[in-house]
Amino acid sequence: MAGISVKNLDKYYGQVQALSDVSLDITEGELFFLLGASGCGKTTLLRCIAGLEEPTAGGIHFGERDVTKLPAFKREAAMVFQSYALWPHMTVGQNVAFGLEERKVPKNEIKQRVGEALKMVHLDGYADRGVDQMSGGQQQRVALARALVVKPQCLLLDEPLSNLDAQLRLEMRSEIRRIVKENGLTAVYVTHDQEEALAMADRMAVLDKGQICQLGTPEEIYRTPRSAHVASFIGETNLIEGTVFELKGDTVIVETPLGKVTGLRSDPHWTPEPGALAKVSIRPECLAFGSEGSFHMKAVVKSRVYLGSEARYVLSMPDESTLQLSEHNPGMQTISEGDDVSLVATQENILILEK
Amino acid sequence: MNKTLAYTITALVGTVFAVFFIYPVAMVLKQAFMNDEGFTLSYLAAVFENEIYVEGLWNAFLLGITSTLASLFIAFPLALIGHRYLFPFKKSLSALILIPLVLPPFVGAVGVKHILGVEGSLNALLQSLGMMDPAAPVDWLGDGRFWGVVIMNALHLYPILYMNVAAALSQLDPAMEQAAENLGCPPWKRLLKITLPLCMPGIFAGGAIVFIWSFTELGVPLVFDYTRVAPVQIYDGIKDLSNNPIPYALVAVMLIVSGLIFGISKRILGKSEHGSTPRPKGKASEKPLSRGKSWACTLLFFAVFFISSLPHAGVVLLSLAHGWYGTVFPEALGMANYSEALGHPLVVPSIQNSLLYASMSTLVDVILGLAIAWVIVRSTIWGRTLLDTLVMLPLAVPGLVLAFGYLALSQKGEAFHFLVGDSMNPTLLLIAAYAVRRLPYVVRAAVAGLQQSNPALEEAASSLGASPIRSLRRVSLPLIGASVTAGAILAFAFAMLEVSDSLILAQQAEHYPITKAIYSLLSILGNGPELASALGVWAMVFLAISIIGAVIIGGKKGGLFRM
Repeated sequence: MAGISVKNLDKYYGQVQALSDVSLDITEGELFFLLGASGCGKTTLLRCIAGLEEPTAGGIHFGERDVTKLPAFKREAAMVFQSYALWPHMTVGQNVAFGLEERKVPKNEIKQRVGEALKMVHLDGYADRGVDQMSGGQQQRVALARALVVKPQCLLLDEPLSNLDAQLRLEMRSEIRRIVKENGLTAVYVTHDQEEALAMADRMAVLDKGQICQLGTPEEIYRTPRSAHVASFIGETNLIEGTVFELKGDTVIVETPLGKVTGLRSDPHWTPEPGALAKVSIRPECLAFGSEGSFHMKAVVKSRVYLGSEARYVLSMPDESTLQLSEHNPGMQTISEGDDVSLVATQENILILEK
Repeated sequence: MNKTLAYTITALVGTVFAVFFIYPVAMVLKQAFMNDEGFTLSYLAAVFENEIYVEGLWNAFLLGITSTLASLFIAFPLALIGHRYLFPFKKSLSALILIPLVLPPFVGAVGVKHILGVEGSLNALLQSLGMMDPAAPVDWLGDGRFWGVVIMNALHLYPILYMNVAAALSQLDPAMEQAAENLGCPPWKRLLKITLPLCMPGIFAGGAIVFIWSFTELGVPLVFDYTRVAPVQIYDGIKDLSNNPIPYALVAVMLIVSGLIFGISKRILGKSEHGSTPRPKGKASEKPLSRGKSWACTLLFFAVFFISSLPHAGVVLLSLAHGWYGTVFPEALGMANYSEALGHPLVVPSIQNSLLYASMSTLVDVILGLAIAWVIVRSTIWGRTLLDTLVMLPLAVPGLVLAFGYLALSQKGEAFHFLVGDSMNPTLLLIAAYAVRRLPYVVRAAVAGLQQSNPALEEAASSLGASPIRSLRRVSLPLIGASVTAGAILAFAFAMLEVSDSLILAQQAEHYPITKAIYSLLSILGNGPELASALGVWAMVFLAISIIGAVIIGGKKGGLFRM
């Protein structure tokens, strides 16, 4: 087991740049997430780590070992594929045993370790089944067992849950996290599902256009997104454009079409001059109906959707823009479409982002 | 993705191709266009000034055109019906009608001669029924036996067009025809205005191969004694090859015509791709027919198979015959010819030789084909499209051309002489010739197999520690084995039946492959044709055993002949 460090990685496909100057340090035993919209370069980065793509420039180290030029089969980085890539001409047991056979592990040990691996993914007794006799969730677990059984230097997972239905996805999340943690694996997990990342990750990197936008724990990324892109990609948010009026310590006052808004700067290194462009980010759950607070304005209810655990409102603002508000544990309906309401949000829940 | 390996394979294959394909072809062109003083067109002019050669070339060209049209006439309706309708035994019949491709036409020609010849079964039947005057029998094979050759070619080669047209039809979005129908276009107009134009790439792709094949066909005209055709004239010209450039000039003309046809068809194919037909969204629905109509389809498919295997049935009958001359059926049947054939000094060695040549060349093809297919499909190196085009070129170059190049290069003092040695043993030359010419089939089969299998399956093996060679052996090969086996069987069958290389390159009796042995037996007076037929049947039996064996082995893995 070892950490993974990626230094200044570039990857071009012809003229198209898929990764640009990506650097990462993943510590030993960490469950690290790469998150981004499709085409952002997250899978390319994972495939570079696996050795399935050759980076145009930059280096990759597993612990102290430079693996940049090492072919995939010498890297000890087992991968779980989005399509599972189970070999249809082998049984479940043969699939799982493959990596051990390639490592010339003695026969009786292979048998024992395959049994253990299948037990770990709750598939003991399925070794002689054909791959096509397994359900989607079972196949997913076979793919996981196949990668785990070789005790890899690191485990790489490429959207492993994207082909499963919603219920199974929830179950597998905690299952994968349990297995990774129980075995103390260093794991890199690619997904476009932000909820999956928030729920499972120790740390995560958000990618866009081949670059890392932000790197941090789920809380850091959700609570203090550094850019409008990260704020709107991880969770939902209301973005209001404006110009900086004043900067006092970490507090920024921004002039917006809805009036002056006071919030916290998300990036402590950002020191805007008055007049600089900025964006105000307020998450729907940070807005509430009421009249006390730093952010305080009038609105008209445009629509209301009741979802049981929450109620979601779309509100028309005086400048014709709309804001989203989500009310948790709503009581019986008291506010209807067309009602005049006033909104509040506390200062620490309002983020000011560099535009 | 291992670029070094991909470049190594490309370089290796490129070298093999340069030595065994481009060099011999260039040699032929050199002999045809160079004299001591340099470039000359005088040999070419000599060919076109000689009426006999001009007639031979023209006849060969006509043979090519008519054979292609006749094949299309058989293949297109079959492909269309197979694409559109459901009928009883459709699956097995669709496979059955491909079989004539591996039945040796030149052996079948022997059978046809006995059925349609002046003293053949048909005339005997008509005479016995009183419908023909025995004093004035009809020569069904026609003046110069032109149509006999056309029929044999068409019955042999229509599966190539059938497969191409069927593939083109299955690529067709059913919505295209439905749109025309929706706009009020009646069925027959739909066929002419929508379906046929959209199938053109398939028709041209298959048509070019059929044309080149029949344009340069040597075996069938030889058996029919149809000497006024260029390939036979070339074959006859070998006897005084050493100082006669005329056969080379004739071969060069055939090469140029074949190359032009291949180039034009590629052009047309290339153009049609610009209109990028969208992939079909759903499977074209095959319509069920009324009981009568659907059985009519079944009957049609069976009839085509029956008629195309009739010549070979004639061969079987002839091989069993004891005296078959001017009668409907042989006077008596028996195994005498077989035992006599086995005793003939030509027969057993020729079977051994053919098995050796064909299996070695197939082995070469499979190894090269897999490596090439891997580079084409899985690697990203520059030049893989070039490699793709290069390995397809043997389809455009007639066997005669290559055989001539090899022959010239194997003379004493030339570059390939060491391959044959002073004893002129053609084993290595024949293996090389068979392998180069059939490589396209194996490559295409392997490419198709690789394209269908998910690259993640190989990447998974690689990420679990399997080296490229290991993952090829443990994952890729078992998965694409079926389609590679199919390609290999085709290559093997064609090598067993190969005529032009075999007739030209094997000069001594002890090195004769089956085809040349059959040809030599035919010219023996007395029971020569019967012995030849017996050997032909032996050859077909070997083919059948190897194909059935491969189907059983490959069949377990499923879908061997879904090409």
